[in-house]
Amino acid sequence: MSNAGNNISFSTVLPEDRVPLPPPDADIKPTACDYCIVGCAYRAITWPVGKEGGPKANENAFGVDYPITESLVGSWPSPNQHTIVLKNGEPHHCIVTPAISERVNRSGNHSVRGGGIAQKCYSPWKPTADRLQTPLLRVRGYLQPISWEDATTIAAEVGRYVFDKYGEMAYGVKAYSYQFYENTYAITKLALQSIETPVYAHHDKPSAQDDASGLEDMGIDTFGPSYDDWAESDVIFISGTDPYETKTILFTEHIMEGRCKLVMVLPRKSRGVTWAEENDGIWLQVTVGTDTILHNAMCRYIIEKGWQDQHHIDEWAAGSEELDWGMGRGTRNTPWQWRSTRWGKSFKKWKKWLLKEKYAEMGYAVKMTGIPRKKIIAACKLLTGGGKKRRPKASFMLEKGNYWSNNYLNTISFGNLAIICGAGTRDGQVIGRAGGHQRGGVSAASYPRSKTPERFGKIGRKALNVDNWVRTGHVRFMWVIGTNWIEAMQGSQDLGDYIKAHTSASKHQIERFEVEHAIQVLKARADAGDMVLINNEIYLRTIGNQFADLVMPAATWGEEDFTRAQGERILRIYSKFYDPPGDAKPDWWIIAQVAKKMGFEGYNWKTSEDVFKELGRFTRNSRQDLAPLLMWAKLNGKQPYDVLRQRAATGYQLPLRLHNNRLIETKRLHNPHVHIESPQGISTKLKRAGSFTKPSGKLILHVADWKLFEDYYERIKPKKEKGELWVTCGRINAIWQSVFDDLRKPYIMQKHPMNFVEMNPKDAKARGLKNGDIVAMENDEVYIQKGGFYRARHKDFLFTNLEKDGYIYKTQGSASAMVYVTSVVPPGTTFMYFMWPGGGASNALSSAVADPLTNAPRYKLGKAVFRKIGTIPDHLKARMTFKEKA
Amino acid sequence: MDKIDNTKKQDVDTTPEIDTQEAPQEAPCISRRQLLITGGKMGGLAAMSMLLPPQVWAGKSKRSGMVSSAVTARTARYPRIKVGRLSALKQDKPVIIRYPGKADGQKALLIKLGEPALGGIGPDRDVVAFNAFCTHQGGPLEDQYDAKNKIMGPCEFHLSSFDLTRHGMMVSASAVQNLPQIVLELKGNDIYAVGVLGLIYGYPDNLLGV
Repeated sequence: MSNAGNNISFSTVLPEDRVPLPPPDADIKPTACDYCIVGCAYRAITWPVGKEGGPKANENAFGVDYPITESLVGSWPSPNQHTIVLKNGEPHHCIVTPAISERVNRSGNHSVRGGGIAQKCYSPWKPTADRLQTPLLRVRGYLQPISWEDATTIAAEVGRYVFDKYGEMAYGVKAYSYQFYENTYAITKLALQSIETPVYAHHDKPSAQDDASGLEDMGIDTFGPSYDDWAESDVIFISGTDPYETKTILFTEHIMEGRCKLVMVLPRKSRGVTWAEENDGIWLQVTVGTDTILHNAMCRYIIEKGWQDQHHIDEWAAGSEELDWGMGRGTRNTPWQWRSTRWGKSFKKWKKWLLKEKYAEMGYAVKMTGIPRKKIIAACKLLTGGGKKRRPKASFMLEKGNYWSNNYLNTISFGNLAIICGAGTRDGQVIGRAGGHQRGGVSAASYPRSKTPERFGKIGRKALNVDNWVRTGHVRFMWVIGTNWIEAMQGSQDLGDYIKAHTSASKHQIERFEVEHAIQVLKARADAGDMVLINNEIYLRTIGNQFADLVMPAATWGEEDFTRAQGERILRIYSKFYDPPGDAKPDWWIIAQVAKKMGFEGYNWKTSEDVFKELGRFTRNSRQDLAPLLMWAKLNGKQPYDVLRQRAATGYQLPLRLHNNRLIETKRLHNPHVHIESPQGISTKLKRAGSFTKPSGKLILHVADWKLFEDYYERIKPKKEKGELWVTCGRINAIWQSVFDDLRKPYIMQKHPMNFVEMNPKDAKARGLKNGDIVAMENDEVYIQKGGFYRARHKDFLFTNLEKDGYIYKTQGSASAMVYVTSVVPPGTTFMYFMWPGGGASNALSSAVADPLTNAPRYKLGKAVFRKIGTIPDHLKARMTFKEKA
Repeated sequence: MDKIDNTKKQDVDTTPEIDTQEAPQEAPCISRRQLLITGGKMGGLAAMSMLLPPQVWAGKSKRSGMVSSAVTARTARYPRIKVGRLSALKQDKPVIIRYPGKADGQKALLIKLGEPALGGIGPDRDVVAFNAFCTHQGGPLEDQYDAKNKIMGPCEFHLSSFDLTRHGMMVSASAVQNLPQIVLELKGNDIYAVGVLGLIYGYPDNLLGV
């Protein structure tokens, strides 16, 4: 069951018919869900095995009489919310159940992911028993236990050697951006402060760039809205995500309660789309990758009809002069500056472009997006009121389906549409991301962009594409922290080939346990131009299992005190409530030991709280400013974690301000209607609280030129004559991220025993495929960009020219999955889970050619031919459900 | 963890075992022992995450005769109550029953699905019973039987739905437990409820107050 590969996990559950209740003296600790952006508040309750509470209110820790006879009241722990953990070395019952919160998940609501999070906990008697417990060193090809002392010495000595001899450009760090402030602070302190390497990227993309780049360029903080804003909208335009599937409580608790009408733009009909259609909304079933054309056509139609919110535009869209504010006399070389200089326009000029743009014509949009004209028009009417006196309150939400198919153009054209529909500054009229992971990133230093060779044209800087830099042989030491680097990146199998050839297939392999021997061998590895690979993880995954020289066992959620904010910027504590497995340590501790041994100063933290106290000031003047909390705690003689623990599920909505010894929260950003008092002490008067982020404080409309993407799109889209279909990908309700916990949750695995691909009945029939068949999916045109970091002219970055100049090579990708025959996907398009582990994931089937304007990946644009290679066993088929999510 | 004990249920289990190697696929009645068989590792806490191998009527099991001591243990403590007559059931017309007790929360639907189901009884193995409250937050599912798809749901609160042909497995869910299935037995024309697989919403123990 807990295999890390692509095998069938067979785990039908025999459900429990009772659950032990915690006694009144059970230990209750506040925490929040470890999974999606919504970050529902939870309670972790532990008590020794051998004791149990009773069903009367005074006999249990919930203080509730059982059975509970009302719906929607919380405090009913279902059996999957119970597990057995070790606490102080002794077996303890453990219930992790939603908090009764005033915010986010009120009334104990939870998703299918978070609801079962108790099963994430390490338990020696459960499928989580294979958690990593001790550092491992690859000796003679096999990972074998060693001590922390030796592991950190080897990592430090070899890392220092590479840094000293080859410089920071040879020392790479690939790490999660979200797994708690304390850890991301420590990681960035080493990577960006001590080593100052630009070879640094987050788990989900090859370079350290903004996600919704276009919105950032326009001046929008993508996590500005509060959840009440979504609920108060009359209509929400949702692009590239189904919040029911992936941000469930935002949908079921806020959007459904608000009774908003939804315009959903997705190629696939997931459950939230059905709800939208049933509740007077509209589904725009867009052809994969064509969102920009849709947005441009909608903008043009609205402008032609005069339905735009002219008052809002006049007040908030930057004029010609304001576009230049803050650019100074310099080179305008930061990413937003060079992009806005080139494509930013006043409303007048933008309108002129739009009305002449042939790619913004309705006929072209209908042809390319596959959406009927009348539906596009109906959506325009719904969003603007269609010229009626009362304009509906329209909000705009996007996520990865939008920005990971065509990053810059999709986000910038989406932003244009939002601005002309009046969104941005008012309650229920907001623009933002729905979000993926929670917001647990804080950076100890800014990214050293000036060191990268990446240039768009002569001046435009970009963050370094780490995968490209690795593939071109520049990296000799790579530290991978909490991410499946291979499966997570495009052209994943080609990246895997490179990593393999330069790590486990290098001729420099450790043969004995002596530390000095290991260090010398790995130095020789680096000298030979191969790569030393370190991996911090909680389980052995592909990178650790097959390629890493050192594997460091990490202590995670529930095993150490941590902090983080969620999708509406609410900061909470994630308490330690049980023992980490074996000798596992939090990532900040691992980083600190290695950094100290490398000779760097400032890593003498004893506890997570020490790190927290240090990182506060690095959040100042940002959307997650929590420095005032630290100041307030100090002034009042309290420890900040105690303050957060007392606040429990409520937390603090960031950014915070300190005024007359009171902490003041910020409900939404870009809100000019709230008076912000003069800053006191450490507080800042955050610009983005009252206006937009760019120097003029206004929103910047941009030209979204389809021609910048057209040649690539035409090249990589499926070829009918070859029988190819789109393979797009994304999250689904029941599974979180790379399935690392879900593989160990029998309740989830009974439904999703292996990777799957959804295919329309018409395509399935044409290929002779049925439910439960296993197919090989192959793409013989997986393009990889290698080099081409610096190009003199803008047009050199068009795919055609990159290829002509020899920076593109062609590989192939292969994946297999079980077929679901279903009409939720249209003919011509299939959908796969985005990151099933084992290398045969959707990213093997898409090209590693990043958006040249931002260096963002284009994960959603895979394709493949399909061939039946087997079928799942009958007994498994008889137990699975192939029912559609009606 | 309850110690698993086969002997406890002898007084209620009267149906002989059926060896799947020889038994016809259309076994006229199936005892709760055959409802589920297990080869999962037993003992200690491991039994809490019991895995179930092939179903009896998949016809491929080499483990015939290996009676499910796990299910035995689960159903041993339940009352055996007559809940209906096979001949009185009409396809897709759910009948409300209460099991294992009489409380409102123990309301269940007895349904002839018209399609074979895991745990189904009757000549077509299509008669099943499920508790009528969503295991997410107790939403009433009594009127949410979807006859076309043989699912219960979507729950009006948060859209969970459950496949009645697959032990109440989630189709789309916020719930983290299958819809509790009432274990049925057929004796002649009489349908008996003899146990529950899964915990009923609001209860720490299905038999609380019974």
